[in-house]
Amino acid sequence: MAALSFNRTTKTFSDGNDEIVAVDELDLEIRDGEFLVLVGPSGCGKSTTLRMVAGLESPTGGTIVLGDREIQHLTPQERDIAMVFQSYALYPHMSVRGNMAYGLQKSTDLSDDEIDNRVRTAADTLDIVDLLDRKPGELSGGQQQRVALGRAIVRDPEVFLLDEPLANLDAKLRAQMRTELQQLQDELGTTTIYVTHDQTEAMSMSDRIAILNAGELQQVGTPLECYHQPENVFVAGFIGEPSMNFFDVTVADDRLVGDGFEVSLSEESRESVSGTEELVLGIRPEDVVITESTDEPDAFEASINVVEPYGDENAVHMQFADTTNDSDFVASIEGMRRLKEGETVGVSFPEESIHLFDAESGEALRNRRLEDEAHIENPEAV
Amino acid sequence: MSKPTTSRGESIARMLPALDYSKIGISILVMVFFVFFISPIWTGLVTAFKTTGAVTGTTPFVPPGTEGFTLEKWTTAIDYLSTGLINSFIMTIPSTILCVALGSTAAYGLTLVDWHRRARFAVLVLFMFGIFIPYQAVLVPLSDFWINIFAVDGTMAFLGDLPFFTERHSRLFAVTVTHVVYGIPICMLLFRGYYVALSDELVEAAKIDGASITSIYRDIVLPLSKPMIGVVFIYQFTMIWNEFLFSLTLIGSSNSPAATVTLVLSGLGSDLSGVDFGLRMAGAFVAALPTIIIYVLFAEQFAEGLASDN
Repeated sequence: MAALSFNRTTKTFSDGNDEIVAVDELDLEIRDGEFLVLVGPSGCGKSTTLRMVAGLESPTGGTIVLGDREIQHLTPQERDIAMVFQSYALYPHMSVRGNMAYGLQKSTDLSDDEIDNRVRTAADTLDIVDLLDRKPGELSGGQQQRVALGRAIVRDPEVFLLDEPLANLDAKLRAQMRTELQQLQDELGTTTIYVTHDQTEAMSMSDRIAILNAGELQQVGTPLECYHQPENVFVAGFIGEPSMNFFDVTVADDRLVGDGFEVSLSEESRESVSGTEELVLGIRPEDVVITESTDEPDAFEASINVVEPYGDENAVHMQFADTTNDSDFVASIEGMRRLKEGETVGVSFPEESIHLFDAESGEALRNRRLEDEAHIENPEAV
Repeated sequence: MSKPTTSRGESIARMLPALDYSKIGISILVMVFFVFFISPIWTGLVTAFKTTGAVTGTTPFVPPGTEGFTLEKWTTAIDYLSTGLINSFIMTIPSTILCVALGSTAAYGLTLVDWHRRARFAVLVLFMFGIFIPYQAVLVPLSDFWINIFAVDGTMAFLGDLPFFTERHSRLFAVTVTHVVYGIPICMLLFRGYYVALSDELVEAAKIDGASITSIYRDIVLPLSKPMIGVVFIYQFTMIWNEFLFSLTLIGSSNSPAATVTLVLSGLGSDLSGVDFGLRMAGAFVAALPTIIIYVLFAEQFAEGLASDN
């Protein structure tokens, strides 16, 4: 096991005369034994990053260091990595045993007996011993997924690379495999990079998340850091489901003025945004407060368009009542609380839970205040 | 209890399919095609069993009566074609196997192996040229090559010392090599279509497992090509077995001891006294037999290969 680091790693593809930058000077360190999730929308460069570690793409600039050696110029078999593909890529003509043994036969000098032992142990860990003599075509999606994992862990590599391994499973199995994968990684303690476009997977599985957009690293941090302390508008909008609501606002003395609402600012907040007048206000759906009346400070009227019940909570899509501003925003409320579509309610955006971003650069100027900072700083202690 | 609302006759009528004119049209069309394709084969087959008298005395597609029936044409044809059959096997089997092997490796190198994209495309274009070369255009340079530049008669003269072979078989060797050369492009193209559809991730998984370019081919690609090998083998076998022009140009005469079955067949059953249709038909069926057998043997792989290619 070893740490892995990217140092100004760049990958450009040339398409005719156009240069397409897939990964732009990525600086990122993955600690020994860490479970890092690379997340971002499709085309953000996350898969390219993973494939550069695997040796399936070669970087056009910068280095990749595994342990204490640079690996960017090595062939895949010299790197001591194992990868799980989205399609599983099991060899259809080989048995499960053959699939798992193939890598050991090709990249180690182990005797047949030793290989067989290791395959058996790995199969035991994944509970697939009774599938060893079957062909991949005879297995269900979930079983194939396990075999693909088995093929990776049997190699006992320095790093696991997982490319959307759960994308082809149905929702229930996916949730189950998420937990299992995490436990497995915990047991094995192998440094793992996991690529996904699904922010739920990223949040629930990782030690740390690295968020990429358009080839550039946006933020690296624990899931809760990324959720509560996003460094820019992109991260704020990408992490969290339903996503954060954004509004254009301007600063007027001690108040933020948006189209249809106002929020009074505290002294501290005013300082953090001083010098910038055009801002973007962000507020998570669960922080939007819905009241019966508009008596409270900063409250305004909004009409309810759609209520999506999820059982444990309701996502309420609303619109400002009094203005021409027809932008839609979402609030999450408890599942038991009933609101009717078409109803007009009082809404406020509490000052302590808003995020403020520079409208031009998108950078966060002020994030929501947390009562329990320690909880966020060190989530592993929980 | 509710009573049935329809009479028995009505419910039976409802179960019968409605009269569908397009279905009738299709059935008629199928029958027309069936007759169109089957009648010449049928006529040929019955002619092969007729005595010379019966051939002229009866309608072509009517089976011979008891007095007009004979197996003599078949025994004569087999007798006459046996050397040609052996020669054709000597030529077709190795050249087909080589075409399949080289076509498959070339296709692998041009699709699944990652190297200079433009160079790869240039090589592919060359292969495409190879497919579209008209055979007639190369006959003169071809015979010039085998007779003057690589004088096969001299270099392969040792063939005469082997059992069955004669010195003239050097020309059969020339035809075999020529078929390999002209067969590779189309075989490559057939395999290429199959390999392009093969998952990249499979090859990448093998790379990560530590397999080299050759072991990826041997362990992963080749075993997965089985259905396509069946298709290409049947196709190429039939093409080479039935080919006439190269044999005629390089071997020359149907009397040569190296003559292939197509060459011998061209002279079968025609002499100064006229054409022996019965013998010609029997000969044609004997010559076609090996390709039919190959189809039957590889039918399953053939169907599987065609299905997976689409």
